[in-house]
Amino acid sequence: MKTQANIPDPDAFHAAWVEAHEGLSDAESADLDARLVLLLANQVGDQAALLECIAAARASV
Amino acid sequence: MTAAETWTFAPACALPHWPFVAPPDLATGDRIRYPVVIAGGGLAGLTLACDLARRGVRAVLLDDDDTVGVKGASSRGICYAQKSLEIFERLGVYERIRDKGITWSVGRTYSGDDELYTFNLKDDSDSEQPPFINLQQFYLEWYLVDRIDELAGTDLRWKSRVTAVRDEEEGVVVEVETPAGNYALECDWFIDATGANSRIRDALGLELNASRSTDRWCITDVRFKVPFPVERWMWIDAHFNEGRAALQHLMADDVWRLDYQMDEQADPETISRPEVVGARLRAQLGPGVEFEFVWIGPYQYRDHLLERFRVGRMLFIGDSAHVVSPFGARGGNNGIQDAANLGWKLALVLEGNAGEALLDSYNDERHAAARENLVVAKRTTRFLAPRSAAEHRIRRAIAALARRHEFARSLTNTGRMAQANAYPPSAWAEAGARSVQNVAFDGTTLMACLGEGTRFLGIAVGADAAMLAALEPIGSAWPIDFRGIDAASPLAAHLGAAPGTFVLVRPDAYVAATLVDATPARIESTLRAALAMP
Repeated sequence: MKTQANIPDPDAFHAAWVEAHEGLSDAESADLDARLVLLLANQVGDQAALLECIAAARASV
Repeated sequence: MTAAETWTFAPACALPHWPFVAPPDLATGDRIRYPVVIAGGGLAGLTLACDLARRGVRAVLLDDDDTVGVKGASSRGICYAQKSLEIFERLGVYERIRDKGITWSVGRTYSGDDELYTFNLKDDSDSEQPPFINLQQFYLEWYLVDRIDELAGTDLRWKSRVTAVRDEEEGVVVEVETPAGNYALECDWFIDATGANSRIRDALGLELNASRSTDRWCITDVRFKVPFPVERWMWIDAHFNEGRAALQHLMADDVWRLDYQMDEQADPETISRPEVVGARLRAQLGPGVEFEFVWIGPYQYRDHLLERFRVGRMLFIGDSAHVVSPFGARGGNNGIQDAANLGWKLALVLEGNAGEALLDSYNDERHAAARENLVVAKRTTRFLAPRSAAEHRIRRAIAALARRHEFARSLTNTGRMAQANAYPPSAWAEAGARSVQNVAFDGTTLMACLGEGTRFLGIAVGADAAMLAALEPIGSAWPIDFRGIDAASPLAAHLGAAPGTFVLVRPDAYVAATLVDATPARIESTLRAALAMP
């Protein structure tokens, strides 16, 4: 799992992510993020990294 | 909280007042013509007047007040960025600013008590000037007025309010109201630097593209002595501010700028009452810290972007042209940098050493910078003021991951500090223009090389005497000095220029072109383009 900065333009990514939620209900927003997780997971394509990411997300609760 | 606590305000800082002097225009009754008239003696207007004075252009500056600072406010701007400080070094006011101000480079962002993100702007600096100095805006304006007086040649007219401006065929006619009566003057170039609420701009009916935030803040400038680090601290959810954002930053005279995010629905009068502010401050500082208020200013930020910064013979600089939210210090610094972009262009056009079209490059370059600043500042405000449950969720996710993982820290955005914007490719600079820092090299500095008159600097890396001799005729015909530097020079390293490279540096310390294996003919044609000369 990569934890060093690897997003080329973090601010632009954040802006696009936030804008994608504009005008959605809270439930629609949650669904959007779930779809986004699936799409990004397929970009990663590395089973060990994906499982580590799930564990890291869970650990931050 | 004990009921006995009382709140005191520091006496207002004693600012200088300059006298109204009846100008010759009032006596003659004829319209006198001047090369440049600037309306507005704030940061942008005074920087331009000082820059022009340094270049030997006699400007008239009209200001409706007789002192510096903003009426009713202790200080608006506080953070001055490296590029601004380098400009002030060239103008001869930097040392006073450094001696009075607070030099800093580190910023930290907190969520509760946890540090999420840290930056140190010194890491990217090769300059003689630090990344930032904090200073109350009125001190800076005061020092500029003193420097303008010292340089002489500039006509500073206090208590002189511009009531109308007309761009007529023969020049711009400016109507002025003074305590001794009204008069009109005429100029080749008129500069509006009268700020965000410019009536001059509004009277011309120009498209402003304005918007206002619902996010509400309350500036609390306070004098106290606690050895907090001299750093920019920002909380996204401070426990002492009901889980909302807060900023803490030092300026001169032991005055701290504390800026608190408020409930959007809060009543500005209520939240700025001394007892309300005092309780908030007590929660932050803890018991036993003595403090006095300097200024309390509730606000909602706004932005606007004027459609064009040049309209005929009228040019708009500073807040009159563009306003962004305060996080990142992109307001005052960009007014200063507008002035530095425009000064040399006006001087060369007036001297006949540049084509008038060069003034269009002021619009193109500074409008692009303003657009970029608007995008950057809007992203920060969006992070600081999430608008929906989804946005709150995204921010909580970033904060939670940032505590453990480096990558998420870069998504924490509590202000991207002002930098010298790069300019897009244009007819004047084919590959665009980028700023050069004030590097010390060969016993001098870049600002020292650009300090006298209005001349480009042609830097030939590893050039021999024959090459420099071949360039001499260009130096006699055009406003440019040439300098050979060694490839091992710190300036060559900063420019990333290999031996055999020629770098064309503009009077505002922007690189207009980098030429590999340049010939004198190619250097001359590049310079002509940079001067908008046919």
